[in-house]
Amino acid sequence: MTDKPVIKLENVTKVYSLPTDDVIALDNINLDIMKGEFVAIMGTSGSGKSTLLNQIGCLDVPTSGNLYIDGRNVRDLNDNELTDLRRDKIGYIFQNFNLIPLLDLSENVEYPMLLKNKKRDETGYPKKLLEMVGLDETRIRHRPNEISGGQRQRVAIARALVNDPTILLCDEPTGNLDSKTSAQIMDMISGLNREGRTVVMVTHEPFIAKYAERTIVMEDGRIVS
Amino acid sequence: MIFGDIFLELSIRNVRLNFLRSLLAAIGIVIGVVAITSIGIMGANMTLSVTAELSESGNVIMITPDSSGGGGGGFPGGMGGGSSSDDEDEYIDKTQLRKIKQIATSGDNLVVPLYTTSENIDVSGQEGRATIYGIDINLVPDLVEVEEGSMPLSTAGVLVGSTLAERYDLKVGSRIQVGDEEVEDDDDIPQFTVRVTGILEEKGMSSDLNTDSAIVMDESLYTGHFGGEYEYDQVNIIAGDINDIKQLEEDLDYALNYREDEVLIQDSGSMLERISETLGTMTSFMSAIGAISLLVAAVSIFNVMMMSVTERVKEIGILRSIGTRRSEVRKMFLYESMLLGVIGAGIGAVASFIGGYILTYGMIGTTEYFFMPESLVYIPMGMFTGIVICILSGVYPAYRASCLDPIEALRAE
Ligand SMILES: Nc1ncnc2c1ncn2[C@@H]1O[C@H](COP(=O)(O)OP(=O)(O)OP(=O)(O)O)[C@@H](O)[C@H]1O
Ligand SMILES: [Mg+2]
Repeated sequence: MTDKPVIKLENVTKVYSLPTDDVIALDNINLDIMKGEFVAIMGTSGSGKSTLLNQIGCLDVPTSGNLYIDGRNVRDLNDNELTDLRRDKIGYIFQNFNLIPLLDLSENVEYPMLLKNKKRDETGYPKKLLEMVGLDETRIRHRPNEISGGQRQRVAIARALVNDPTILLCDEPTGNLDSKTSAQIMDMISGLNREGRTVVMVTHEPFIAKYAERTIVMEDGRIVS
Repeated sequence: MIFGDIFLELSIRNVRLNFLRSLLAAIGIVIGVVAITSIGIMGANMTLSVTAELSESGNVIMITPDSSGGGGGGFPGGMGGGSSSDDEDEYIDKTQLRKIKQIATSGDNLVVPLYTTSENIDVSGQEGRATIYGIDINLVPDLVEVEEGSMPLSTAGVLVGSTLAERYDLKVGSRIQVGDEEVEDDDDIPQFTVRVTGILEEKGMSSDLNTDSAIVMDESLYTGHFGGEYEYDQVNIIAGDINDIKQLEEDLDYALNYREDEVLIQDSGSMLERISETLGTMTSFMSAIGAISLLVAAVSIFNVMMMSVTERVKEIGILRSIGTRRSEVRKMFLYESMLLGVIGAGIGAVASFIGGYILTYGMIGTTEYFFMPESLVYIPMGMFTGIVICILSGVYPAYRASCLDPIEALRAE
């Protein structure tokens, strides 16, 4: 671990403007996450965990304040640069997997790679990843709606890793899994962290948060500890 | 994945997933493509067949009185007629004819002055109307062959065209009553009887002399009954050398029209241009009507594309959130509308090939020219138009899709 923050939030505020009123989802957040760190974010429902992860994942730009990824202020990036950042630097494992329904599992994993390289994979890496996350070889031609939640979670992890991102973001990675599968998935994520990836994970389960080295607790859009 | 393009693959899968809906939208394009293509094919076939017939008489210059002093169209042979009303010169007079002869005799050219009108006829009770030509009978053998019978020897003998002969069941020896039974005003011609001595060979459509459904008689017989001696309706010059035509026309124009436009000088080439132009205008006009159906098709493609975008908001959110650029999302939807276009235009091409063939046969009576490039070129043109219209209809939906905010899109259910 070095002392150079790979993710840096400076007075980040996110306000959702609704017709009736404004919702302050993030309220003046300051946070440094070092390269290779494993951070868990906890907090009650609606406290702003997903919103925070979305800012870090460059899906959104803060209403005010600055967010630096690898030292670059996301405010200075245009839409294409932000998109490429999501594609190349960040692996996002979504709470509800977000697999592409029209593609089969191996195509789903290969997709970000195809976006990056503009050509079909010849290395066999997507297939190796699917093996690594423990997906049965016979299932890789199935579509996402034909497999179980645990299997989808594994595919989502494989997809997040395919472009070898330095940052891995997980939103409730064990949200709807049984405890045995949860443990397997968490072991996998810990392993990825040990390989040198920075991991930021949202969870509301304390025993899952124990896998992380640092835990941040949020309340009403603020970091309370 | 075809061509390794994942976006094309995604579009193909989505079209397949919504096969029925996509097909229904494509049917609009099919109809539009068929409409413009088969009309185009028919127009081309019309032009081709007219061209083929007219170009057979490519060495003829027609001189007709310039009645309007402007652009009067139509076939001079059929309608010129003596029924003009105003007091201007509606004929070519002796002086003009002399000038024409002076110019034309410099080369190996044949000058054919002729009278023509349209008159009532009666063949043993069957009444109708026919074009009558009055031509120096000695010149006739140079203009058209007699197929059956012989040249008239007596003063009441006439030749008839093959179409007319067929319609009235005329044989050599048949009698025809020409003129009006009751003479009521100056324009009426007292009825007189002529006898058919020969039936002319079929000549086809031509710009200078349409004998197929006409009666041809000697000029003395003609002027004897219709009057107007030396008031010719038309003078044809049959050029010995087709390359002399332009020079001849220039000389004639200089000699006859030096003060004011007295005569109209045309050859079948310029005639052909005018007819093709008219046919072209007609075809474009009809195609424009056909294009309305393409417009309707465009609306239905637009509708389906908007539906596709709305249905796939969540998917667009996923694609965007894992690093798909806006332009790539746009591309995916443009591919989809292009696919609809390709399907529609493909079916449309086959249908318009068949439809065009039937339409051509029905309207023109021959499919002799159907397979010529000038005719079949309308198929790729129609397809191209259909596809372009589909892609254009997809532009706005694709733009809408690409503008979706990733987070908002992901929240959609
Ligand atoms: N797109 C949006 N428009 C309006 N308000 C929003 C939007 N997204 C989030 N919010 C609000 O922002 C606040 C934080 O939401 P967020 O989803 O970050 O909570 P969370 O901590 O992830 O909750 P959970 O544990 O239930 O997932 C909530 O009050 C929510 O209603
Ligand atoms: Mg959440």
